[in-house]
Amino acid sequence: MTYKVTEEGDASTVFLDGEIDMDKTEGAKEVIFPLIDAGKNVNLNLSNVQYMDSSGISVLIESHQKALEKGTKLIVKDVSKSVLKVIMMAKLEQILNLE
Amino acid sequence: MNTEVADTTNLSEKKDFLVNSSSLKDVRSFSREVFEKFKINEELREELVLAIAEAAQNIVKHAYKDYPDTQDRMAVRISCTDKELEISFFDKGKPVEKSKVKHRAIDDVKPGGLGTFFIQEIMDSIKFKEGDKPWINNLVLTKKL
Repeated sequence: MTYKVTEEGDASTVFLDGEIDMDKTEGAKEVIFPLIDAGKNVNLNLSNVQYMDSSGISVLIESHQKALEKGTKLIVKDVSKSVLKVIMMAKLEQILNLE
Repeated sequence: MNTEVADTTNLSEKKDFLVNSSSLKDVRSFSREVFEKFKINEELREELVLAIAEAAQNIVKHAYKDYPDTQDRMAVRISCTDKELEISFFDKGKPVEKSKVKHRAIDDVKPGGLGTFFIQEIMDSIKFKEGDKPWINNLVLTKKL
């Protein structure tokens, strides 16, 4: 997994790519959590993530809940078809902010 | 070790992997290659790869919870007949306590506890068996084709 972060106003956009599994979740959290802790709204762009397992889904849930606690917002954007299928299997499409 | 039995009606492939989270991508690659060879369509293939990866992850996370630096190996065997897929996992970790294998309530949204749910959603049956020596655990997943 590689990542890129862009800033625009009070929002940060995190672009992740590759396959997000148990081996990659700590790296994803290390990028996302400090932005939320800093009070940023975070756009998580998953257009180049082709695979996500339950560990990756846990990162989405944890990030979403952390943002709620901090009074910011996590928006999950441009989800690939394969990852959307997993999000829907977890019945999270109404919970997460998907765009 | 990678073994293959080629037959037009009964295919089986088996491979072993170090019990470590870094092996999960290799488990997925192996599974994708096998399903491609078995001519499983892409949509079902990716669902099956997820189920397999979740089961392998459970071995790393639970059967070897207290042994993160183990050099043990786990094996995955994928067999296919005309009508059914059977996926077996073999490991030498802590024996599985079947009563403790359950997923979280799906509407209780919190991190964790989804791997077993995904496996149940994707597969038709899940059976935990004692492994024949030298294995301790043998998980068998099946899916009708």
